[in-house]
Amino acid sequence: MTTTEAQAAPDLRRGDVLSRTRHTLGRVTVTVARSIAIFVPVFLLATFVTFALRSLSGLSPARIQLGEEATPDAVARVEAQWGLDRPFLVQYWDWFTGVLHGRLGGSWTNGADISTLIGLGLGVSLSVATFALIIGVVVGFVLGTAAALRRTTWVDRAITGFVTVISVMPAFVVGIVLVTVFAVGLHLFPSAGYVPAAQGFGPWLAHITLPAVALSFDVVADVARQLRSSLIAAYRENYVTGAVVRGLSPRRIFFVHVLRNGLGPALATLGLKFPSLVGASVVTEWIFGLQGFGRFANDSAQAGDVPAVQGVLVVSIVLVVAFNLIVNLVLARVTPASQRGV
Amino acid sequence: MLRRVLVLPSGRIAVAILAVIALLALFGPLLAPQNPLATSDNTLASASGSHWLGTDYLGRDVLSRLLDGSRLSVLGSLEVAVTALVVGSVPGILSVYLGRAFEWITLRLADTLVALPFLLFAVAVIALLGNGITQAMLVTGVLVAPLFYRVSRAATLAVARSQYVEAALLSGASIGWVVRRHVWVKVLPPIAVALAQTFGVGFVIVSSLTFLGIGVQPPAPTWGGLLASDLGYLSHQPWAPLAPALLIMITVWAGNLLADALRDVSGEAGRALVNSRKTRTDRPDQSEPAPTGGA
Repeated sequence: MTTTEAQAAPDLRRGDVLSRTRHTLGRVTVTVARSIAIFVPVFLLATFVTFALRSLSGLSPARIQLGEEATPDAVARVEAQWGLDRPFLVQYWDWFTGVLHGRLGGSWTNGADISTLIGLGLGVSLSVATFALIIGVVVGFVLGTAAALRRTTWVDRAITGFVTVISVMPAFVVGIVLVTVFAVGLHLFPSAGYVPAAQGFGPWLAHITLPAVALSFDVVADVARQLRSSLIAAYRENYVTGAVVRGLSPRRIFFVHVLRNGLGPALATLGLKFPSLVGASVVTEWIFGLQGFGRFANDSAQAGDVPAVQGVLVVSIVLVVAFNLIVNLVLARVTPASQRGV
Repeated sequence: MLRRVLVLPSGRIAVAILAVIALLALFGPLLAPQNPLATSDNTLASASGSHWLGTDYLGRDVLSRLLDGSRLSVLGSLEVAVTALVVGSVPGILSVYLGRAFEWITLRLADTLVALPFLLFAVAVIALLGNGITQAMLVTGVLVAPLFYRVSRAATLAVARSQYVEAALLSGASIGWVVRRHVWVKVLPPIAVALAQTFGVGFVIVSSLTFLGIGVQPPAPTWGGLLASDLGYLSHQPWAPLAPALLIMITVWAGNLLADALRDVSGEAGRALVNSRKTRTDRPDQSEPAPTGGA
């Protein structure tokens, strides 16, 4: 640890506490700056693709509001009202500046503010997704670590087998199984619906548990597998042999030498996993009757409500980008290697 | 490569399962004992001699619907895998050779596609651009293409820096020739692994979309659609989702198993593994495997 930091910043040799904090701050700034340098073009491109969907789809609010037998005059009037008769790039710029200010426009079906509609559903979805992430990380961490510490024993084989089974179960299959067993069969949990946390912690938890468990299987499998292989790889490193030779306790070797270096790939998987978690919410919310973000996306897509779909996609991109930024920051803090920009 | 995979037991299992699934996709609709769309008064029946897997809420034969729906699910996931292969690996290989601008643009494109939640995007695009499983799978293929891009780019980078490629370029070989002669061979194994993985991913996506009823017209049977229609009648038929769910899981598992087997037998380590297994099976009396041939 000390050697890498000394290499990274010569001014640390003075042993100055102030420079150490400044160094940490600098590192965080560098990580954030590097991430933003990647994410800004990503965001621009993704929003452009999202906006181009309307032109590609050929859908129009007139179809929804006036029905199929509208006269061309009426269609033109409605389209002018929504500003759709202007050049494409002007529309895009208008929409994009609105997005930067948090305005996603009005829905074609009922004219309601899309930001508000999404905000209503986001609470549900984020509760479920956060709970799923917590389950996934905790269970995946325990399983992966246990398998790595007891590698090539029956514990390892049992965990690997279990992880293989749950990794091939899509969220909607798990969801149906959970509903059948725990809601329809045992009446332990409600099968559908949502109660906000403000109306009591117990009911809230009961309503989000099954969907969260359904979503978490994928995360559990990925975290456990990745952690197992990277921990085993870390145990083979020379510095671990060195630590054993120096007579350090197994506990110290695990926490200081192995875990810190083995955690990186598992955390990185988590960053990649988040988009599919957001995507899978479309299916789980449908099964569990949650009026969340994914359900809103599905409903507005089926209704041909283009601005609503665009809003959902923009919000999902922002969520993914923000989550990845957090993962990168944690990664830079936890694993020594990523500080060197490897 | 296939012969090498078949040396491993896991590879044999995976290939066998996928072969059965492929046969189902080819001949399933012909094998269906009854008309998968014919309704009857015998609704929500349990398994019997005439209906091996029972009937659904409209009295349609579940087995026939499963067999009839297999083609769409398998073709859809193959389409995802092949689209991703073409869209991802060609720029992946070229990004090493076509200069920094092309490299930068394709890298940013790959970053962008990774950031898009593909199920959400697939739902949106299909609903807005027209209801068809073919378009749906094309879009999904493009969205999962970064996997192929990264894999083929990494493999190409490794080969491009090797001395024999430098030697070939120095002695006047064209880049096209180098790609065909040297790069392609090294890129193929990781691409095969990614292809098997993507087949599994694609299968989950096709099933999810058909589960939501997106991309297919209602009476047409699909594995995902069967699950969705079972969901409303769980209290009457709690075992009904079992057959389609198991079929989906086994198919995805076989794809993953094939990916692992391909990974195990490719590269230098894989060659040694295959050779040692061969020696063990060919000459069981020898305790130590014969020295394995190198490159």
